[in-house]
This record gives sequence, C-alpha cells and structure tokens, in this order.
Amino acid sequence: MNGSKEANGIECGGDAAKHFGFASGYRNLNHGSFGTYPKEIRSLVHHYQEEAEARPDPWIRYEYPRLLDESRAAVAKYINAPPSTIVLIPNATTGLNTVLHNLVYQPGDAIIYFATIYGACEKTVDYICETTPATSHKIDFTYPISDSTLLSLFETAIYHLKSSGKNPKLAIFDTIVSLPGVRMPFEQLTALCKQHSLLSCIDGAHGVGHIPLDLSKLDPDFFFSNAHKWLYTPRACAVFYVPERNQHLIRSTLPTSHGFIPAPVEGKVVDNPLPPSGKSDFVTNFQFVGTMDNSPYLCVAAALEWRSRVTWKGKRGEEAIEAYILPLARESGRIVASALETEVMENAEGTLGKCNFSNVRLPLSYAEVAGSDRGKAVKIAQWIAKVLVEEYDTFIAIIFYAEAWWVRLSAQVYLTSQDFEWAAGVLKEVCVRVGKGEWER
Amino acid sequence: MNGSKEANGIECGRDAAKHFGFASGYRNLNHGSFGTYPKEIRSLVHHYQEEAEARPDPWIRYEYPRLLDESRAAVAKYINAPPSTIVLIPNATTGLNTVLHNLVYQPGDVIIYFATIYGACEKTVDYICETTPASSHKIDFTYPISDSALLSLFETAIHQVKSSGKNPKIAIFDTIVSLPGVRMPFEQLTALCKQHSLLSCIDGAHGVGHIPLDLSKLYPDFFFSNAHKWLYTPRACAVFYVPERNQHLIRSTLPTSHGFIPAPVEGRVVENPLPPSGKSDFVTNFQFVGTMDNSPYLCVAAALEWRSRVMWKGQRGEEAIEAYLLPLARESGRLVAAALETEVMENKEGTLGKCNFSNVRLPLSYAEVAGKDRVNAVKIAQWIAKVLVEEYDTFIAIIFYAEAWWVRLSAQVYLTSQDFEWAAGVLKEACLRVGKGEWEK
Repeated sequence: MNGSKEANGIECGGDAAKHFGFASGYRNLNHGSFGTYPKEIRSLVHHYQEEAEARPDPWIRYEYPRLLDESRAAVAKYINAPPSTIVLIPNATTGLNTVLHNLVYQPGDAIIYFATIYGACEKTVDYICETTPATSHKIDFTYPISDSTLLSLFETAIYHLKSSGKNPKLAIFDTIVSLPGVRMPFEQLTALCKQHSLLSCIDGAHGVGHIPLDLSKLDPDFFFSNAHKWLYTPRACAVFYVPERNQHLIRSTLPTSHGFIPAPVEGKVVDNPLPPSGKSDFVTNFQFVGTMDNSPYLCVAAALEWRSRVTWKGKRGEEAIEAYILPLARESGRIVASALETEVMENAEGTLGKCNFSNVRLPLSYAEVAGSDRGKAVKIAQWIAKVLVEEYDTFIAIIFYAEAWWVRLSAQVYLTSQDFEWAAGVLKEVCVRVGKGEWER
Repeated sequence: MNGSKEANGIECGRDAAKHFGFASGYRNLNHGSFGTYPKEIRSLVHHYQEEAEARPDPWIRYEYPRLLDESRAAVAKYINAPPSTIVLIPNATTGLNTVLHNLVYQPGDVIIYFATIYGACEKTVDYICETTPASSHKIDFTYPISDSALLSLFETAIHQVKSSGKNPKIAIFDTIVSLPGVRMPFEQLTALCKQHSLLSCIDGAHGVGHIPLDLSKLYPDFFFSNAHKWLYTPRACAVFYVPERNQHLIRSTLPTSHGFIPAPVEGRVVENPLPPSGKSDFVTNFQFVGTMDNSPYLCVAAALEWRSRVMWKGQRGEEAIEAYLLPLARESGRLVAAALETEVMENKEGTLGKCNFSNVRLPLSYAEVAGKDRVNAVKIAQWIAKVLVEEYDTFIAIIFYAEAWWVRLSAQVYLTSQDFEWAAGVLKEACLRVGKGEWEK
C-alpha cells in the first residue's frame, strides 16, 4: 500500500505545494509574516462574499453571526478553551491594543515587556504610556540566552519595580518572538505572572496552528493569536481569548461599536440596533465591530479540515504537520548556516528552536560593511530584502540584531529542504554583493 | 438612435440591476446600511486577493502601498481634497473612534453631538467620557424640524456649554443621519464650528457617492465617509480626511501600528520594519494598520469608472446617478406614504429629503399595538424586519422614533418605482399582522 497517497490525503512537500496559489517560481520562505491559505479555502471565502452580496442585510445581521459562532466553537475546541472565552478579531495587533486600551491605569502602574516585543506592540505601549498614567519597563537582553536566564530577568524586573514603589500591573510576552523567530518559555512566564499577581498578556501572534496550545491548562489573563499566520485561514483572522473572570475588564472593542454597554445612567435607554444575540455581553460586543468583510473568520473549520488531510510518513493531520515542519525548520537552519559558514541562533538547551523558524546569521561584518552605523545596517537589510524580491523571486525576513544580520527562515508544508539549499546559495551571492558595496548605489 | 444603449452604458433600473449580485427575487431596499457593489468589481477584488497569495510579502510590502496611493489620489480628486489629507480606513466607526481617541481632553472639555448620532458613535462618546476628563452634551430634538431650528439649537448648546464654564471642544454631526435617513445642514454646522472655535467632526458615513462633496470648500476639521455604502466599493472601505493643520492631532491609528512615532526619548532608536515610504508621517501611519485584507481600498478607481458609465435620460456618470436617484427617493416616499395613508418625514422647507433616502411612517399606533411600552415597540420593529426577510425576501430598515415606526427607503440605480409599489403592499400586510398581535407569539 502506498501510505503516502491515501484518498484525499495531502502529502507534505511538492504535493502540498499544489494546494497553494503561489506564482510559478516564487518561493515563499517567509510564511511567518503574513501566512497564506489553500486555494480551496479561497473558494469558500468567495462563496461567503457572494452570499453577502446576494442578500446583504440578511447575511450580515442573521446568517453571519450564526456562522461566526461555529467558527468560534471550532477554534475554542482546537485550543481547549471554553467557547464563551473566545471571540475573533482581525489580528494580534488589534488584540494587544484592545487589552491595553481597556485597562484602567493608576499612577505607579507599570507595563512590563521584553526587548523582543513586536514593533507595533511596543509602539502601542509607548502610546498608552504617553496618554495614561501607566509607565513601562522594558527588559533588555540579547539572544541567545537560556530559558532560565530569561525567567530570572523577568522576576528581577518584577522585584525591581515593586521595590521602587511601582505596581507591575501587566506583562506582555510572546509564545514565539517575531524577529528573531524564537520560542519563549511562555508557560513558565504565565506561571510567574500568577505567582507575582501580574496580569499575563500573551502575544501568540505565532501560536495557533504553529505550536500545540491548551488554553485551559495555560490559563493566561489575555491571549491572542493570528489564525491567518499558521492555521491557514485567509487574512485577516485572529483568536482573542479572555477568561470569564477578566471579561469585565474588556468593556470596549476597538473601535467601540453597537455592543458597548455604557455605565448605567438613570433614565437612559440604551439600544443595540442589531438583532438580539442571546449571548454574553462580551461575545455580543465582539460580534459586530464596525462594518467589515469578516469572511475570513468563517474559514476556521475549513482550515482545520484541510489540515486534517495533511499526511507525512504515515501520520495524518496535526501530527503530520508537526512531524514535517519541526524537522524541516531545524534542517533549514543547518543547511543555510553550513553554506554561509555561520550559525543558527540557539541556546545551550536547544529551546529557542522548538518552533517552525530557524534564524541564521549572515556572513557580514557590521564594522566592515556598515562602518558600525546602525542607519546603514538597516539600509543594508532593506536592500537585501528588495533584491531578493526583484531578482530572485523570493522573500526572506531579515533583521539587524545584536550587531549582525540574521535571516528568519519559515518552514512550511509546501516547502522542502531543496528550497533552503537554494536559499543558501542566493543568500551567499547577495552577501557577496553587499560586501562589494552594491547596496550603497 | 437608441440613446439608452450607448456602447458600455449602464441604464438605471433593470439594466443596472443586472450588474449586481443579488439573489434572484431579493429586493434590496436598504442599500444604506451595508451598500453593495457591481459584479465586475468583485472580479477586481478577487484579482488582488490572488496577487496577494501569489507573492504575499512583495504584494503587501511593495505593491499594495503603490496601489493604495492611486486609490487615495482617485478619491481625493473626487471630493476635491489634497491627496496629502486623504487616507483610507475600514469604516466610519473607525474614523470617529480614531478622532476621539487621539484628542487629548482637559477637565471641562465637552463633546457636543445630536440626538440622531449613529448608535455606535454615541457609544464611543460614552466610552471616551467614562475614561477621559471629557464630558458630552447631547442636543435633543425630534424630526421633522427646519434647518434653521437645528442650527439654532446648535448655537444654543454652544452658548449653554460656555456659560456653564465649560469648553465646547468638538462637535460631531452627520452629512446625512443614519436613522431616520435625513440630510443635515452640515455646511452651515461646519461654519458655525469655525465661528465658535469648535473642532468640526463630520460623520459622512452616508456621503461620498451619495451627495456632492467639496472638501476644500467645506474645510472641516475631520471628515470620514464610507465608500462601501454609496460609492460601490466592496466592504470595507472608508475615506478619512484630516487637513494638514490637524494631522499633528492624529498621532495614532486604531490600532496603533508600525507607523506610530513615539515622543522622542534621548538615545532611543525607533524603527519601522516596513519599507521606507517617502510620504508624510500621517500618510505612512495609515498605510499599514495591522495585517488586513485591504483589497477593497484598491477598488476606488474601478468604482468611479463604473459610475461614469451609468446613464439616465441622456445624462452620464455622476449626473445620471443623481438625476435618477433623487427623484426615485422622493417617488418611493410618495408611493409608500400614499398606500399606507401616512406621511413622509419632511420639514416645511423640504431639506430633509435632499438625499437618496425617504422615511415613511407606518400606520401603527404606539398606544394600541405596543401599549406605550418602548421595549414592545423595539420588539415589534425587530419582528417586522425579520418577517420581511423570512417571508418576503427583502430588507427594509425600520426604526422606532418619536413614538412611531418609520421605514427608511433607499433609492438605488438597480431599483425602480415598481419595487417601492411592491414594498408598500408588503408593509401594509406586515402592519396588519402586527395589529393582530402576531409579533407577540
């Protein structure tokens, strides 16, 4: 029996690649930034869009909420959270903004975050600290470090704040950092938050569909994750988890819309013009957040069903995906680091790479090619990214970090190790061109 | 010569109806709530979505911003605003939230708004007043009233707020109210704001593509309008106008994202990981606001081009659309009011109906059918809406206002007076059934 070609099965590698809509010849080595989704799910999105135009009001007011609940239930089951705690939002950035805007800050309240926070999230913290009594505390450190060191830095930061008379209110940390793409010990960080009475706010942008998640076990205070990254739904669709004990803290969606319930005022009648939902205030609030095309929200079950058909070496579904991608990620790092004669970013315990990313340093000297000028270093990174697009028909995420350039490789079911061998050759060429000063012209 | 069938011309009425994707038999009498768009524009959106999946990063980082600028330029030209003042956002609710969240309020600052404000906007004002030093002043009144009476109420409110020692900071008013669907004297309101030193915030949700707009002449402080309502772009796409003198007030998008520029801090390096845009901070800020599928933003030029092909009685384009819709809106009100033996909501000067809506009172007595209980009244409205969907395959917007039920009829190029004759019969039947108490079962 040919185990790899079960009826309807999608074998990782070349077979799976046919299910996606990439341009012929384009190599997507940066699934991590914007994700993508199988062509058959595009048909589903189109179907929903047609239904919406066939009967706009009935669809938006009556049909969509019903299908939305099915999606919420599907993703809730997938990450083992009660459906009452799960709503869908466009993206992780919106999740972080929703949490930070809703919290009420007293003078002395501090938001703790790590130096590796996603850029837009740091800017949100900045904006909140400029416009509310909150202050922030950034934990500076440089990868690679061990999990125990990172956890230790976290506790130190908490003690530091408390002993300076401040109140560490909330900590923001990732499941998997964006750039560099490394796993954080988020389970232990969540436990430390509980221990020290901080709210835990997990930016799981790289989470659902990337690593196994059990929200009931993890039990954070707030959690959000992009389904359009690793779960294979269309853009934009993200999961927002708020346990019932915290739902009273999230009074408003972003933007505020019909489901907001104002503080009661004597004699004031408050209406919601949308049909009564029969659900909790929290769920009803997130059901309609300004007119949007939220068809991507409705594709969760289809994405999960597609994943269940993926096969690899006799395994099926989630197990197959994990069994293919994790080793490919490790292999990709090995191949590229070996060709470039550099290294993969990893700590002694090997915990950073327990995800679908591999980060490899480019063979470029900060002093030699950029004159130790950070502005130039950023320009070089931008130049490399552009050349890869314009001349090699690929995109590779590149970051200037710790005085070196690193590429973040994303393993995926539609890639094989040959793609990374090719990438290694391309990166080698490009680095030679940087060394010759081509980026400056 | 058959003047109504010029090459490529789209004749209002049955001919235009073929261009839309309605289900066979569905009568869309509520274009005002969610809009819709021609089928040929769906092909364009699909094309953009395919391009995005063909090469996700290159599309999102390099191609999309270029096309976005073309859309911004097209809509800027259409409403006679400098392109530097125009950005695109998902919807008007986001526009109002962006303005109110960005403003900095001192104790004593007051937000003035009218009783007819859109529900989600009032809730946003409530939320802002709960979480900042701002307070609000709601101008209560009941339509129909004359423009001069409304303007007088506005000036009275300003004086009232000032003489109580407070500072009227900003006034929110509509181009066209949502429910009931009536035109406001927004030009004069804007002038009064200037005269009395208030910021003018115009909710033009029903604006672009509905009524002629000249932003350079109007010159408000903030303006936003849904393109997916009356301009025929897909959902969701709205125009946000901020004159250059006010752009420093709008520091953050909603949510905050990569383009936010924090207050300068000594020694701190601030980066935007997206390619450098070469545009103003304001425009760059709104270029990327969390991962979204903003393909609808890119359809402005196509929507305008489709409109340019519309014909009516020898006229073409915008003139044809106006020449068809305004009279049809008036006719729809006449037909339905005559059949129901009620009246159209209008003031003596006939200014409320200078738009594509007509509001007709239903022949139901608040005392008789609802026992003067507002909760019953709302239930009746919800029942009528649902019955129309489930049994008559249509949607008509219905509001309980001034102790009566009113329907808001939306005229459109794909409708004819026959559709409103039909609607009149349906509403008559539905009201009989309400009178028999069917809504209570």
